[in-house]
Amino acid sequence: MPSVSGKFQTSKRERLFRNPPKDKSAFPALEAAVRPHVESFNALTVDGGLLDLAARDIGERAVFDGSSEWSQYGNKLTIRVEKIYVDKPKLSIKDKTSLNRLIYPSECRERHISYRSRLTVKLGLKVNNGDWQSIDRECGQIPVMLRSNRCNLEKLSPAELVNRKEETEELGGYFIINGNEKLIRLLVVQRRNHPMAIIRPSYSNRGASYTNFGVQIRCVRPDQTSQTNVLHYLSDGNVTFRFSWRKNEYLIPAVMVMKALVETNDREIFDGLVPIGQRDNTFLTDRVELLLRTYKVYGLPTRLDTLAYLGDKFRVVMGLGPDLSDVDVGKEVLRRIVLAHLNDDRDKFRMLLFMIKKLYALVKGDCAQDNPDAIQHQEILLGGFLYGMVLKERVEKLVDDIRAQIRADVVSHVRVDFRNKAYLSRVFLKVNENLGNALEYFLSTGNLSSPSGLDLQQVSGFTVAAEKINFYRFISHFRMVHRGAFFAQLKTTTVRKLLPESWGFLCPVHTPDGSPCGLLNHLAHKCMITTTVSNVSSVRKVLASLGMSSPATFPLPRVATMCVQLDGCIVGWCSPKEAKVIADTLRYWKVEGSHDLPLDLEVGYVPESNGGQYPGVYLFSQQARMVRPVKYLPLDKEDIVGPFEQPHMSIAVNPQEMISGESTHVEFDPTNILSIVANMTPFSDFNQSPRNMYQCQMAKQAMGTPGTATRYRTDNKSYRLQTGQTPIVKAPLYDEYGLDNFPNGMNAVVAVISYTGYDMDDAMILNKSSYERGFGYGTVYKTEQYGWREKGRGEKTGQMLFGFAEQESIAQVLSDYESGTPVAPSPVYKPDAEASQAEWEEYETKREEYDKTKLAYDSEMRKLEKSTKDRLNSLGRVQFRWFKHLDLDGFPIVGQRVEDGDPVAAYYDVSKKEAKVFTYHGSEVAFIDEVRLLAHETPDQPCQEISIKFRIPRSPQIGDKFASRHGQKGVCSQKWPAADMPFTESGMQPDVIINPHAFPSRMTIGMLVESLAGKSGALHGVTQDCTPFKFDEENTAADYFGHQLIKAGYNYHGNEPMYSGITGEELQADIYIGLVYYQRLRHMVNDKFQVRTTGKISELTHQPIKGRKKGGGIRVGEMERDSMLAHGAAFLLQDRLLNCSDYTQAWICRTCGTFMSITPTIKKPGFKPQVRCRRCATRATGFESEGEAWEDGHGNVFVGGENTTIVAIPYVLKYLDAELSAMGVQMKYNIKH
Amino acid sequence: MNRDGYSAPSGQSNPHRPSAATGTMWYQCADCGSRVSINKGEHIRCKECGHRVLYKERTKR
Repeated sequence: MPSVSGKFQTSKRERLFRNPPKDKSAFPALEAAVRPHVESFNALTVDGGLLDLAARDIGERAVFDGSSEWSQYGNKLTIRVEKIYVDKPKLSIKDKTSLNRLIYPSECRERHISYRSRLTVKLGLKVNNGDWQSIDRECGQIPVMLRSNRCNLEKLSPAELVNRKEETEELGGYFIINGNEKLIRLLVVQRRNHPMAIIRPSYSNRGASYTNFGVQIRCVRPDQTSQTNVLHYLSDGNVTFRFSWRKNEYLIPAVMVMKALVETNDREIFDGLVPIGQRDNTFLTDRVELLLRTYKVYGLPTRLDTLAYLGDKFRVVMGLGPDLSDVDVGKEVLRRIVLAHLNDDRDKFRMLLFMIKKLYALVKGDCAQDNPDAIQHQEILLGGFLYGMVLKERVEKLVDDIRAQIRADVVSHVRVDFRNKAYLSRVFLKVNENLGNALEYFLSTGNLSSPSGLDLQQVSGFTVAAEKINFYRFISHFRMVHRGAFFAQLKTTTVRKLLPESWGFLCPVHTPDGSPCGLLNHLAHKCMITTTVSNVSSVRKVLASLGMSSPATFPLPRVATMCVQLDGCIVGWCSPKEAKVIADTLRYWKVEGSHDLPLDLEVGYVPESNGGQYPGVYLFSQQARMVRPVKYLPLDKEDIVGPFEQPHMSIAVNPQEMISGESTHVEFDPTNILSIVANMTPFSDFNQSPRNMYQCQMAKQAMGTPGTATRYRTDNKSYRLQTGQTPIVKAPLYDEYGLDNFPNGMNAVVAVISYTGYDMDDAMILNKSSYERGFGYGTVYKTEQYGWREKGRGEKTGQMLFGFAEQESIAQVLSDYESGTPVAPSPVYKPDAEASQAEWEEYETKREEYDKTKLAYDSEMRKLEKSTKDRLNSLGRVQFRWFKHLDLDGFPIVGQRVEDGDPVAAYYDVSKKEAKVFTYHGSEVAFIDEVRLLAHETPDQPCQEISIKFRIPRSPQIGDKFASRHGQKGVCSQKWPAADMPFTESGMQPDVIINPHAFPSRMTIGMLVESLAGKSGALHGVTQDCTPFKFDEENTAADYFGHQLIKAGYNYHGNEPMYSGITGEELQADIYIGLVYYQRLRHMVNDKFQVRTTGKISELTHQPIKGRKKGGGIRVGEMERDSMLAHGAAFLLQDRLLNCSDYTQAWICRTCGTFMSITPTIKKPGFKPQVRCRRCATRATGFESEGEAWEDGHGNVFVGGENTTIVAIPYVLKYLDAELSAMGVQMKYNIKH
Repeated sequence: MNRDGYSAPSGQSNPHRPSAATGTMWYQCADCGSRVSINKGEHIRCKECGHRVLYKERTKR
């Protein structure tokens, strides 16, 4: 049962509106929702951040000048990246006029430009063995995430944000590209640094004897770039190591990798793979023996031999310098590719052994395969990290390009001198240093153009526009998790399944239906994503103190069969019993906060089982993990759990479900599993689950309040509900997320009654009076840019100018018109019926006088208008009518009403001086809301671009879509006069009438409860808590709200006697009437209706074109045709398919039955123009009688071929005929009659 | 001559009152809110703060 019904807190809300907080946001929950985005970006640029790590990882590039000095390859130039700087968005240094040099996001939105800042790459150059010389290179401007540490809005308080023209709750987390808001999608990727046992049929396609068994690990370097390694099981028991590098796949024997990593021997590998307790396991020993034996053919006994062999093979692939030895190249291969998350070669060696063991266990059936679709083996690729990966790759490419340029110079015998500054700057000049453009391209299109592919499965669809249709949609973008474009085209639906593992991490309700269903999920509202590495410095010490054996111990104790891993590094071994103790103790200590263990350490304890998940203790502390809070029972404190450990834990949903001795955790709230939007569905536990999914969709389509800074936004299209209200029935979470700042609908009195017949089939009747009081009144804003934006460097600017060439003269003409306008004669009115004779006579005389003056006035006006028009026309074809909408500066008058074709901006060509106008296009009437003059990119250039915001009023109309919050959508079918609406005994009339048939099949009981709750809330003046899972069988919602209704003097069940508005009689049944929060959806008839009688036709077929925008028609397709056939409506069919489509009359030759030989004859004296068949005709001999011979257009004379006629055909038939004859197929028509 | 159209005489270059007839119009700076007069063909800049977006004023007066 909900605790107590809440207050509306109107005054608190108003206070917050008027005085935004000067310290911190009033809604920290909202900030937390976007935090993964912002923090992942911050992680790039902080000191020692990911960009610094990336710079280090790029390493050095060497190039030689080919001279005979210093070494056999000549002088050596070594290039490295020392630091990557990202500035804050500022004006360029060239700009000298502005006081405030910072650029704020609102300016970028208004100017339709990108919010970006300077990128500087500090390169280090070294000649031979000299000192490193640093050189800063400007690499263009890169887009910057809002509210990140590179944004000028960072850490601003709500009050300051308002001053910077932002929302009080501006959350950031997105980029501004060309004035549009874009964000990088959260993407599901494989969990890092954890080897997964996989059975995948495609694995057997790698080659002969490859099987479908494999162990795959996604290794993530400290800079968040990743490298996937796979171990393949071959049917003979051998194991190969696979990786891809620059989109090419390579296979190496696993033993070779191991031998190259450390100086080892077969005995050590055998001991590592076959623990003491397994020596009699012949399955294992057989395979390990074969593994070692088959490697003998390579004849590489030592580590150096193996490294040299690898280095020789991979020298070209890795693109390393010629001066490196094969062994060094081999080491580089191992460093960059093999288990790239580990630094130490011994660690890599141990991990490989572990992976091979897991692979053999998978093959033998000792362990189950890991499900790559389960959230247990997934993590989230955060936008900031992906951005950093793209940036790193671009910087790496820059270094490679510099090297390639120098190499090209060496080859083409340009004087190469590394010590010469001038030479180096020439090299830099030739290299494309503009990395900013590449990143802007990435963000604006979402396409990844990368030589390595970044270890991702898709190349496009990484970014989405953060649409601000309403706030729910906007915030949902940041909580959205996509499984990957690759899975969208998969035929199987396994990836889309809702798995129990997702509990608490992904919302089970909030996913769209249709093609992205199950692939596009939303994070549960309490789910967080880690963005930093937790401090795990003490973990190894603690583990050792708990009895874990070091991995270096040899031989390992017989019982130490459980591997303990920390972020993919084997830190030790222990017995299964110890493992449980270790896991439990770690958890106790970390929640307790002792032993310096981080709270968000994920303790994945996988117990031994009979063919289940491969056992071990897997600890995770790194970035990109989903985590969520639950209550830890032993300490009654908050614990942070992750998806890897969760399946092996016992977390009770609520205290009642706790099992003594088993449950270690309990949920703080069952609603923690729902997303932000799903949590806003009232009483969602009463509804059939698909209805809750529909509501999540519709909440995001509602015409609501996108924000309060609409004045400073220039969205292409933006919706706004003028009369939004706070719902009476709302969950406390609604206020926690501050959604009162963005109302999404209106409380409506809803009667469930079949009243007029206009509420059939999900139609709803609107009370005309509530409509007139503003129910559902909305506005659409459209922003349009006009001008000549510079495209390239070469294009000339200043050719076109806004305004009029001869503004002064035009002003003169207009003022002349105004001053010259004669005074209109005042009209004369007829006297009253009982007026006297004298009055009538006076009227007559006045009337005569008026008629005379009116005539004179009219002619004078005509003359004036004519002369004005002529004068304006002579001033560069300026039209008088334009000035109804335009000002003298050529810009539209703010507040003016415009219709389709009206001018909105005047301009002229500087050389031609002829005035032209941009016109408004749109089927609806709009008002000029705002006109912005945008400065040119280069200072001192005249205005080249303006941006006009149009306001289109959209009051509710018949055909507009509305929905309650329970997936109950309907279309307004009538605006019923209030007088004819039914009314209750207290005189209440419904705002909305819906049909009772909307409920039985859909089972949205939540809506019925909301109606009750809303009614009692309105009567008592309180808000009602609608959090799901609050009621049960003993304490029912109907009873709780029913008693409230009784208290207010109403029927317990929510029914009321009602009276017909038409007859005034009492209706036979009591009517269920209450208050339901209604959303107005953005689908409106005005954007959808499509009618046509005649209009544009296709050039090729002469059939009507399609497309609403182009004024096309709606196709009468096969199914429509079938139904007409079934009805025997033959004439209707004929009319639709032929007469109203491509009906044509065409000439045809009866004899040869073709359209193609027809030719018109030319007119001659005594010979009417006719149409003849050229094929049936013969050449005239010249002796024909008068009127027998005819001539075609080329002067050829023929006789005969007169057997032609006109037939009615569809025009496409001629087209078909032509197409077929082009293929050498002739069609012959038999003509009867 | 209404008060809105009045500007303090600058003394030097532009003795004329800015008005549409002389090719000068008033706009509002999007940043500092001050009224800015822009001549025909002149670049768009707030004269006070150098901001790069100007709004057209709502009234014709």
